[in-house]
Amino acid sequence: MKPGLLIHTCSRFFSARQIKGALRLGDAVIPGDKTLPSFSETEFIHHIDRMLEYMESDDRDGLGLLMNVFSITPIWKIRLLVSLCDIHRFLPQFLGTPFRLLNLGLKGIIFTLYYSGLEDKEGHGARILKTIGWDAHTPSYQPLDKAMSENRQISAADIGKKAKDVSQEIRALSVAQRLKFVSQLKHLIVSEKEIIIERIQEDTNKSRSDALVSEIFGVLDHLAFLESEAIKALKDEKVKTPIALLGKSSKIYYEALGTILIISPWNYPFYQAIVPIMAAFVAGNSVIYKPSEFTPLTGLVEDLMSRIGMKDGWVQVVYGDGKVGSSLIDQVPNKIFFTGSVATVKKIMTQAANNLIPVELELGGKDPSIVFADANLDRAASGVVWGALTNCGQSCTSVERIYVQDTCYEEFKNKTLNIVKQIKQSRDYDGDADIGGMTTKAQIAIVKNHLDDALAKGAKLLSGDEWDGQDAMIPPLLFDNVTDDMLVAHEETFGPTIVLLKFSDEHEVISRANDSIYGLSASVWSADKARCDRVARALEVGNVSINNVMLTEGNHHLPFGGVKQSGIGRYKGVHGLRSFCNIKSVLIDANSKKIEANWFPYTKKKYQLFSAMTEALFTGGILNFIKFAIKGTLLESAAQKSRNQSK
Amino acid sequence: MLPVDDFIIIGAGISGILMAKHLSSSGATISLLEAGSYFNRHTYPRKEIDANSQLYWGGGIELNQTANIGFLRPKVVGGGSIVNQALLDRFDHEALSSWKQESNISFFTEEQMKPWYEKAESSVNIQEIPAQYRNANANVFINGFEKLGFKCSPLKRAQSQCQYEKGNDCIECLAGCRLDSKQSTAITALPQALKNGVKLMSQFEVTHFERSGDIYLVHGKSQSGEYKRLRAKKLILASGAIGNSKLLLNSKYANTNKKIGTRFYTHPQFMSLGLYDQEIAAHKGPFQAMKSDEPHFRVNRFKLENVFAPPVGLSMLLPGLGIKHMRAMKKLRHYACVEVAIRDQIPGQIKTTTNGKVQIAKSVSGEDKISYKKGEKVIHEIFKSTGAKEIIDGELSIGLHLMGGLCIGDNASKDIVSPDFSLHDDKNIFCADSSIFPNAPGINPSLTIMALSLMASQSILKQSGHS
Repeated sequence: MKPGLLIHTCSRFFSARQIKGALRLGDAVIPGDKTLPSFSETEFIHHIDRMLEYMESDDRDGLGLLMNVFSITPIWKIRLLVSLCDIHRFLPQFLGTPFRLLNLGLKGIIFTLYYSGLEDKEGHGARILKTIGWDAHTPSYQPLDKAMSENRQISAADIGKKAKDVSQEIRALSVAQRLKFVSQLKHLIVSEKEIIIERIQEDTNKSRSDALVSEIFGVLDHLAFLESEAIKALKDEKVKTPIALLGKSSKIYYEALGTILIISPWNYPFYQAIVPIMAAFVAGNSVIYKPSEFTPLTGLVEDLMSRIGMKDGWVQVVYGDGKVGSSLIDQVPNKIFFTGSVATVKKIMTQAANNLIPVELELGGKDPSIVFADANLDRAASGVVWGALTNCGQSCTSVERIYVQDTCYEEFKNKTLNIVKQIKQSRDYDGDADIGGMTTKAQIAIVKNHLDDALAKGAKLLSGDEWDGQDAMIPPLLFDNVTDDMLVAHEETFGPTIVLLKFSDEHEVISRANDSIYGLSASVWSADKARCDRVARALEVGNVSINNVMLTEGNHHLPFGGVKQSGIGRYKGVHGLRSFCNIKSVLIDANSKKIEANWFPYTKKKYQLFSAMTEALFTGGILNFIKFAIKGTLLESAAQKSRNQSK
Repeated sequence: MLPVDDFIIIGAGISGILMAKHLSSSGATISLLEAGSYFNRHTYPRKEIDANSQLYWGGGIELNQTANIGFLRPKVVGGGSIVNQALLDRFDHEALSSWKQESNISFFTEEQMKPWYEKAESSVNIQEIPAQYRNANANVFINGFEKLGFKCSPLKRAQSQCQYEKGNDCIECLAGCRLDSKQSTAITALPQALKNGVKLMSQFEVTHFERSGDIYLVHGKSQSGEYKRLRAKKLILASGAIGNSKLLLNSKYANTNKKIGTRFYTHPQFMSLGLYDQEIAAHKGPFQAMKSDEPHFRVNRFKLENVFAPPVGLSMLLPGLGIKHMRAMKKLRHYACVEVAIRDQIPGQIKTTTNGKVQIAKSVSGEDKISYKKGEKVIHEIFKSTGAKEIIDGELSIGLHLMGGLCIGDNASKDIVSPDFSLHDDKNIFCADSSIFPNAPGINPSLTIMALSLMASQSILKQSGHS
């Protein structure tokens, strides 16, 4: 492992420095040899909380102090100290005590982590046990379903119940109180950002800059939006009360729904966790969060939540695949917030339909970029290449179709190719790479399939032909000679493809851009503002960037969402925040003796008055207003009489 | 108003669960409180790191004040019967007569204990390991004993379906049996108790209790940190020597009785490893099968058993660090292991600090050290006579049998628990677990805890007019 790659916030109790100290201690105790790795070559340190959590707090504090010292002590000195502890055997009882304590405590921690057969990426745990010859097992044991035993004693029902039980606690907090957690989280993420980025990189293969820009910056931006807008967006709203309801007042309360189940995808595992979790929380809901099984960021979200003081059960993280998700839907959350693919969501909606659970869906897209010949072609080319390749093309709003006006097609193509040639690809550790690699094997296979299909149907590949069809580091694939019947032109690829298509006029390109089952977002590039606006209005999508790309997402005041098979509902912005709310209408009247005109009894006289009043009210003009006032007053007084009195 | 139970039982180990089962059969309402978790065979922690953290107090081990004895104190529903090796032995004449002498209680005779032992034994399956399944570690033990002319015999184990023929390695069941073969009270008695309506609260740690009129208020906190109070007419203390002493001390009962926490015994154990050229694989199959059965060992107050430890445990036994230690770990399959457990005569004391934490004063010295050294010498002879090329004595002494602190006896000025299992100071608080042991018997305590708990249950029911 490269130095500096370790996740130093793997502990709720130890700081990055203390973890560094523990790693040094580890290497002093277990330096590694030909057949066994050194302590720091493994990633067992990530599991340290499995011990620290159960220690007495003052023991833990003492240990923490030592680790701080060890973080700046050379390893040979640590080794000397630990060996010196062995002199306890030559000292009388009371004198030997501190050495024995140190000896036991220090060796105990390292040996426990090293010899417990823990998992890490390289499979060190199992290999170490094999190397020392440990092979105890219980072949007669029949395990239960894996997912169940992983979530140990906690069943989906317990999780659902817990979420419901605590939802009142959250609801009882004011929005301002909830925002305190948001501010703390913002500070925590800022101070731990490099570590979080490494964590994201490990699960996703992203480039470091990709992780910083889209995940960390995006999350912080959203938290800042919540801080500045949530109080306004969620406070009781007074609305107009029409004159026919004179004397009453009307309000809207933005209340919590209860429990929100958030099911997130693997492409932006941090952003798609924190943004909906915190929005749902600020709206007053408890959250059950299920990350994608491909990018679980195991422990990270719980860690952050507990460090900002979120109480047990407010945000529960449940790991697992679709089966686990399904068992959570069975607990009837008040809303499901899903981001992911159309195939998965069809199953989710079918299941949700049984209990009429509302869904908020952010799905895929086949987003078009339309480049008119009068656009600044250098800017447009740079923009669409970024839009197509950012996050290695694994964004729901990636630019997947680039319609270029025929008169500038060749020029634009050459500019694009020039930019693509300079793209630097690496899962880097210093931010000096444009794109990283693909996250899942399944998606790599889809890219391969789309590539093969395009080539078979006559497309030309202008870059990326060195790709072997398997490596996760798919280079940018720039396609020329593309026809609308190719998969790359109409199905979501979700990879680093740049698909150039030629068009001749505005009318044609709008109809081709709209000829898709998706409708997520689009971009329009032109010097003609009026045309840009025309096209933006004509496109059947949820979001349009004009002379820019994927930028509606960059403004957290704008709602985000798609039409057609790209989604249902909106998230982010005030609309998004309110989508986690029960928008409750309240009409307030006085506790008077008055009987309302529209209540029983309905009498002939009241009918005539109501009819005349209706005509007066909706015809307009000052005379009619006076007439309305008179008829209304008469109707009011008639309403106070019972049927018998009216006769 | 909080409901009032007939009994609150503090601690769901061997004694607590058995008493819950028997007392609830009379219709009494019972809350059974346990600080540890309630696992089942599918959910016991499988990694040593988690087993240590989640099944024991103190994150795995608690130390005496001089940090040379580690106490393994179970913290789990089922208590010691989850993490032990399920060894069930009746006390012999020697143990019982010394108890009788110490406590002046007449029922501590083999004759009078017999029906209770029988009753305890009948509630579980007891087996010996068939000779053909003994592993090489057991055979080293047997060969050594034969060569030295000492007598050894098979251990009696509470187990039902270990299926050795299928290649199960019992060392895994130290963290809870995955086959439900080990006869823990969590499977032999708890299901009936729950059926009888006993309310089990796991992950609930009792901090102290107080008396208010005729009622006991029991204070505790759940794992999430939530404080709760429960009420009952009678209390049963079943948290073992350390747990019960701590509870009484923190509930200020020490004001009336300075003897709480004294006379604490642990059968200190020392493990030694013998390194052999040939493979031993002490962790394979049934890993603990034999015990010494030699009268002069008994006289000298020690006994030997063949044992072994999983990797983390082994790593803590082996001395040194760095390359040397790693090299020693790689010989795991070539170690045989024998432990000596001593019948300690010099008691320790359990105290609490002002903030309620346990402090244990206990040492192995004087005649106890002599017993230990005698036992260790025999182990060395066993290893030498069977061809070991190197002998390593374990680093740390372990206390597994935590006994005393609330010793039983008829003398109210010296003893805490009276012969009818109530406290001398409070006739509505009862105790029948290992904390009442008047001294160290030198024999595995489980079966006797069971027998005493059954005896106490009957006595309590009789007193309360239930039956």
